Amino acid sequence: MVATVLKIRFRVLGNTLSRSAMQLVGFIFGVLGALWMLLLISVGLFFVGMLDLDIARAAVTAAGAVLTLGWVIGPVFAAGIDTTLDPAKLAPFPMTTRQMMVAITAGGLTGVPGIATALGALATFLVWGRYPVAAVAAIVCVPLGVLICVVASRAVAALAAGIGGGRRTREIIGLVGFALLIFASPLFIGITNGLVSASEQGVQLTSVAEGISWTPIGAAWAVPGDLASGSWVSGLLKFLIAVATLALLWVLWQRSLSASVVAPAARSTARRRSGSLGWFGVMPSTPVGATWARSLTSWTRDFRYLRQLLLIPFAPVLVLLYSRGDIDGPFFAASGLLVGFFAGILPYSDVSYDGTAFATVMQTGIRGRADRLGRMLGSATVSIPLLLLADVVTLAIAGRWELLPAIVGGSVGLTLIGLGVSAVSSALLVVPTPAPGDSPFKRVPGSTFSMFLAFFLCWFLVAVLALPTVIPALIAVFTGSTSAGWLALTVGLVWGAVVFALGVLIGGKRFDAGAPALLAQLRTFRGA
Amino acid sequence: MTDIPRDVPPPSALPEAVTPPASTDSLPAMQLTGLVKRFGEKVAVAGLDLTVPTGSFYGLVGPNGAGKTTTLSMATGLLRPDGGTARIHGVDVWTQPVEAKKLIGNLADGVRLFDRLTGEQLVTYTGMMFGLSRDEVATRTADLLRIMDLGEAAGTPVVDYSAGMTKKVALACALVHAPRLLVLDEPFESVDPVSAANIEDILRGYTASGGTVIVSSHSMDLVQRMCDHVAVIAQGRLLASGTVDEVRGTQTLQDRFVELVGGRHHAEGPQWLRQS
Repeated sequence: MVATVLKIRFRVLGNTLSRSAMQLVGFIFGVLGALWMLLLISVGLFFVGMLDLDIARAAVTAAGAVLTLGWVIGPVFAAGIDTTLDPAKLAPFPMTTRQMMVAITAGGLTGVPGIATALGALATFLVWGRYPVAAVAAIVCVPLGVLICVVASRAVAALAAGIGGGRRTREIIGLVGFALLIFASPLFIGITNGLVSASEQGVQLTSVAEGISWTPIGAAWAVPGDLASGSWVSGLLKFLIAVATLALLWVLWQRSLSASVVAPAARSTARRRSGSLGWFGVMPSTPVGATWARSLTSWTRDFRYLRQLLLIPFAPVLVLLYSRGDIDGPFFAASGLLVGFFAGILPYSDVSYDGTAFATVMQTGIRGRADRLGRMLGSATVSIPLLLLADVVTLAIAGRWELLPAIVGGSVGLTLIGLGVSAVSSALLVVPTPAPGDSPFKRVPGSTFSMFLAFFLCWFLVAVLALPTVIPALIAVFTGSTSAGWLALTVGLVWGAVVFALGVLIGGKRFDAGAPALLAQLRTFRGA
Repeated sequence: MTDIPRDVPPPSALPEAVTPPASTDSLPAMQLTGLVKRFGEKVAVAGLDLTVPTGSFYGLVGPNGAGKTTTLSMATGLLRPDGGTARIHGVDVWTQPVEAKKLIGNLADGVRLFDRLTGEQLVTYTGMMFGLSRDEVATRTADLLRIMDLGEAAGTPVVDYSAGMTKKVALACALVHAPRLLVLDEPFESVDPVSAANIEDILRGYTASGGTVIVSSHSMDLVQRMCDHVAVIAQGRLLASGTVDEVRGTQTLQDRFVELVGGRHHAEGPQWLRQS
């Protein structure tokens, strides 16, 4: 049964790749990236193996822990988990939950990331080759570590998708989990940065790795090293930790899986009292007002939109980490600009989130200009207040109030320009998105390499168009020039408004001509 | 097309707010000429001509994959045809889309609604998109939710509706701007019998007051009972059209359909599937 399921999995992959050249290109890039990583790891491990045993142990444990964490966090950032073998799709077949889990795990192991992880893990034999005891232990522990990776990623995704009864609860838990994971990775980068600078100051990296080796993510990778150095007791204990981790993950996964297969997507009983129109009661009764209200409702209630808003607090944290916690430095004070950059480009393919409900928009015969304006106003109504809040908070923490005009001007300018670009790009481009209420961990099939290119083109355009306002803002930040700050504010607001208006007009024209093509493409996306 | 008298008395089943404006012109409600659509190699609609007289209750039938949904999408401005024209009361859908779409109420099949909105918000949204005044939107929304038996569920997000309720709220959205032509793709799919009868009453009242309805359906019995005109489509071509009696002759519509389309098997199914 498992073999049959795996055959189907490769058949599906083959069919997808043969259908679209661009997807094949993306796949090849993925494989090349994995091969490159493997090469680096092998070379690194080979040299580590020549060094002192303690350093080798620490390096293997740390690398293994990073790898395991990567399997859990990676799907959130990159493409999500491969859902070719989705439990919901396997449910109609006569399989036990256990068989289903074995099939899904095997599917995970035989995908590109799974194969790369397995090969990378095998490369640890380059280190253990010289220690027979460790090599023997690694024969058991390496597969154990790889299995923990795959099972952990599936279990976390299933848990995030399956906890709670009602739709609303499930969505809130999904959002919180998503936020935790997003912020876990900068924290992780921060810890790594801290470690690097600490080790430069003479702290033993090995002692940190020793700590990690007792955690569920590091234990399996640490066992061979412990045995090689003769610490039999700790090696055995860590082996037990690793086995217990795998067992616990398996049980948790099994529970949430059997729960989700039997009782999918419960109906919520949450309701509003009739007559409560929300934003629809506030906005003017025109096409622009209707679109504005709908967009605003999505930005405040649909979790796919809310997830994007997490980027706003994320940007200053990211800057802080890359500047190694330097709160007083110019980079943190200027991080509002990065927020502005992210905030403007959020709706770059706004129509995608409509899915086929975009047909409703088209049936009303709305003019492109009105549609663009309504959507961009909806996005701005949410993002600009959050942006200003981020500006004020970062400046307050940095204690650089004199930069307020520069940062506000630069960041609002960036947002307006981003919205202008989005008004055009979202009339030209739709990308596959999760359906409303889907797990954030789910990969959406159908993305092509050209869509990523289009996305980066939008970023590039915003960056170039925003130069007239970003340059004076940066001059103000780095030289403390007050006049440059006021210049940034003036240029930001005026030039931003001009680009916004032009974007709405040009985007409106493109929309009038291209809306049927957008709908046709949305219909081709699965689940839209 | 802008000066349409609104002096026709409303039929009993239909609230005044959504009564269609009566037509004074003799142009057909919908005229499709030489419509063509290809998807890659496959020709979905191959030069289709169809005239739907004003005030008719028109059934569009055909086997799976016949091109019904594709045809209706092209006729209502959702899918750009590769060739041919579509006119609604004389207005070309593809050169004057804004004017044409004001005349059409459309219930498309296989598309989602903005299902995070409540039923009431969704109908209000649609009314606002057509630029109706706030009071008018409120009155019509209340009327429509009431006749669709959705008053209880007005405050519930559409995502939590059953399939039948979703169809009904979509129909309410299609009616809110009092269109002159209703294009309904599979309106009775998964609708319970009571609701279906209610919807049927509404549609009858609508045509009696001068509105035109086009429904696509798989159910021949339903089309034979409800519609006065019918068109049979298969493989993107029109096989027969006219009044229901003209098309079916002395047969039932079901038999006539099978005769036109072909593909009926008279087998008992494979041996292994038989239970005794």
